[in-house]
Amino acid sequence: MNMVFQINGRDVGIEVSDSELLLDTLRHIGFSSVREGCGVGACGSCTVLVDGKSVSSCLVLTSRCNGSSILTSEGLADDDPVVSQFIKNGAAQCGYCIPGFVMMVSELLSENPIPTEQEIYNHLEGNICRCGSYPEIVQAAMDASKAKQTSKLTC
Amino acid sequence: MGGDLTNLEIENDAAAVGQSWQRSDLEAKVRGTFRYTADLPVPRCLYLGVHRASQPHARILNIDISSALEMPGVVRVVTGADLFGIYGELIYTGPAFADQPPIAIDKVRYVGEPIAVVVATDLITARAAADEVYVEYGELPAVLDVDDAISGSDYVHEHLRPSSVFSDLKHLQGRGETNVNYEYNLTSGDVEKAKANSDKTVSGEFWCPPTSHVAIELFSTTAWVEGNRLEVVTTTQTPSYVRQALASMLDIRLNQVRVRTQPLGGGFGSKMYDRLEPLVAAISWTYKLAVKLEITREETFVLTTRHGVAVSSQMSADSIGMIVSAEADVRYDTGAYADIGPRIASKSGMVACGPYKVANARVRSRCIYTNKTSAGPFRGFGVPQVTWSHESLVDELAREFGEDPAQFRRKNLLREGDVAPMGTVMHSADFVGCMDAVTSAIGWNTPLERARGPWRWGRGVAVGIKAVLTPTISNAVLQLNQDASATLLISTVDMGQGSDTIMAQIVAEILCLGPDQVRVVNPDTDITPYDTITAGSRSTYHTGNAVKKVAERMREKLISIAAQLLGVSETDCKLTNGGVVASSSQKYLSIDEIMQLHFGAIGTTLTTESNFTTEWIPYDKETGQSVKVTEHWFAGAAAVELGVDTRTGRIHIAHLAVAGDVGRAINPALVKQQLEGGAIMGLGHALFDEIVMDHGQMINGTLLDYQLPSVKDLPDRLTPIIIENPHQTGPFGAKGVGETAIIPIAPSIANAVRDAIGIRFTRLPLTPERLLMAMAGEGD
Repeated sequence: MNMVFQINGRDVGIEVSDSELLLDTLRHIGFSSVREGCGVGACGSCTVLVDGKSVSSCLVLTSRCNGSSILTSEGLADDDPVVSQFIKNGAAQCGYCIPGFVMMVSELLSENPIPTEQEIYNHLEGNICRCGSYPEIVQAAMDASKAKQTSKLTC
Repeated sequence: MGGDLTNLEIENDAAAVGQSWQRSDLEAKVRGTFRYTADLPVPRCLYLGVHRASQPHARILNIDISSALEMPGVVRVVTGADLFGIYGELIYTGPAFADQPPIAIDKVRYVGEPIAVVVATDLITARAAADEVYVEYGELPAVLDVDDAISGSDYVHEHLRPSSVFSDLKHLQGRGETNVNYEYNLTSGDVEKAKANSDKTVSGEFWCPPTSHVAIELFSTTAWVEGNRLEVVTTTQTPSYVRQALASMLDIRLNQVRVRTQPLGGGFGSKMYDRLEPLVAAISWTYKLAVKLEITREETFVLTTRHGVAVSSQMSADSIGMIVSAEADVRYDTGAYADIGPRIASKSGMVACGPYKVANARVRSRCIYTNKTSAGPFRGFGVPQVTWSHESLVDELAREFGEDPAQFRRKNLLREGDVAPMGTVMHSADFVGCMDAVTSAIGWNTPLERARGPWRWGRGVAVGIKAVLTPTISNAVLQLNQDASATLLISTVDMGQGSDTIMAQIVAEILCLGPDQVRVVNPDTDITPYDTITAGSRSTYHTGNAVKKVAERMREKLISIAAQLLGVSETDCKLTNGGVVASSSQKYLSIDEIMQLHFGAIGTTLTTESNFTTEWIPYDKETGQSVKVTEHWFAGAAAVELGVDTRTGRIHIAHLAVAGDVGRAINPALVKQQLEGGAIMGLGHALFDEIVMDHGQMINGTLLDYQLPSVKDLPDRLTPIIIENPHQTGPFGAKGVGETAIIPIAPSIANAVRDAIGIRFTRLPLTPERLLMAMAGEGD
């Protein structure tokens, strides 16, 4: 089928088969931050936001996203506070899973700008970092929350 | 050009070594723009789909590929017989034993072994057609238990086939009617006499199950032929090994094979030696096709595992609580193919008595074939499994004497200059310092409220010892560019440990450069020089020494050129930030100027090269003794405070402290991450991580069924502690740290559980079910 959606703010029109997965579509177009880790929605490496909600793109049919707006980590602003705080806290080792975590933290902070530490744990539970960078990831999420509050106050 | 130093603003930057430089690829990794191996541009490829064995041990009677061949998009179907027909015995590869064909030839030896490979125009067709291959099996009795494998009369291999890589395995050639492919023996003193004269003896039967590495990046290998050369892009920790293995298999020259890899999305030992590469290379080379194999997570589970290990062990102490003897019978379940199992059996066997002064020791450590997925290296190289045994035993022995387990260890731990049971002396391995740091961190000597409602609380400690892989080789080539930037060529693979960053720091330290001035080139066997492997925590020390040397040679070269240009002696010159200064005249030339004056051109390069090779004295075949069995030692310790919910059997970890003696931390932030990461992985092994087998079938080989530590499994507090006792021959005193933390974690947790509820567990993992059953007086 022919379909149109927005990826990182740009309109994209493509032809896809009914069975094509969003993970494969996005990688095929060139968004390589979206990565397969398990193929069953259990690791979070392929997480993207569809209309603001996190999904495991390995479980989503592209055809179901007709008209949707999709955000991958490549689409975050240069000065995005989540990205900045992940960098500041050194929240990556091999880095493969990190864009998935970045998207989950982005979603959390847009829904709940001042999460508790427990709320951060709850929200990130479905993402696996095998290198075990969790302490830095949680700290980055807390710092990003603070940074967002500060920037709001100064606006 | 040039000038007086006094007139120049020379920045005096902080030194590079010892600084927590930001990981060189951090920003790209966070933004998602970092390219992993599967993201590299390759030619248009055909895709491979693998039909895998459903039987653990069976003769292949017939393979029907006709339906698969009829599917639109299928180009051909390749079987083991096809490849054996062309390459003969060369098709069998492996680092210790040349026992593994890329596709099963006459029989299958584990569930999941490739039987036929479909070549198709796209991935979906390749995988669908692989399902259309039909195999007729002649079932054979499967060898599924490591102890049955020793005593039984069914054999996984008809005879042993040592590879040419290790000359010390030659004598095993052709040996038949056995599943034991290697046996390491250690003896010192007189164990029987020491035991008879001892005051107390403890013993145990320990078991660590096989586990899966689960690097989140999946395996991917692409190969194509260009003229008379084979190009390979693959996820590997061992590019130099892969080049050699493929050249040997295809019987072509080393310069006809090019192996490239990007920094990996995790390795942990899984992406080593012969994984997908022999299969993909053989098909590409034979049929002159560009082919790509990307496997699923489910296929990754059956590609390689950590060894399941059984240990029967004893430890005895005299009346004042000094350990006088230790014994261990260690059985490594290596699965269908030996991989590096024989080396794991010896390197772990030699430390199976622990980091203690034990005058009388006896170890038998065997590597044993069974009909399961081949086990290979996994962070810790077999040592966490023997540590599970000795750290449980020593804890029980302390309790027999009514002594504090930390104090009991402190009396017995090896110190600087002490000789370990295998005959090698200790240096830069501060076991006591590590243990004191972790016990102090968790408040070992502070009061503990042991009973809180249904919860029971306890504390535990464990200490680990491991030898670095020896002998090994590292090489480095350095280009200094005319603009004072540098390009470092090494074949160490960055897989999250941060080697690219710390190698740049070493170059920067010697050449007085800043964070963005050193680029490390990704492994490419056409360009980057030979390096044994990226594994075993060896890179900081080995590659680090080669890199330090190559940078020092560059400094000498630069000074020599500058001295001529300045008309002074070399000894008068000093490399400082950005250039060379003559002490006598204070004349200064920047690197930029030196290079321009020397070559008379811009954009030029100076090149140096270096080699760093370690040597050992092979251990005696009968006694396992060697005065230098390894280049250096890793020392680590963990202490934990936890509660056990007596209603559910669940363990809650309040504080886990882990320490490693790293000699010197080149980059403290990255060292702490390695300690944390190793501890979290170890925590999974302690609490739930386990491959479950049923009649040779892996029954939890998907990430829906296989549990890994998530953010919610973090202890309330996790404290990584860096201990620094500089190693006399380490680069700036440094040693590696990748494995140090994982080694003592599981026993430290089990010892705390013992402290909390009074039950000694000998089988991992410590699941709530296992705890509940034990508390009810059932199970272990």
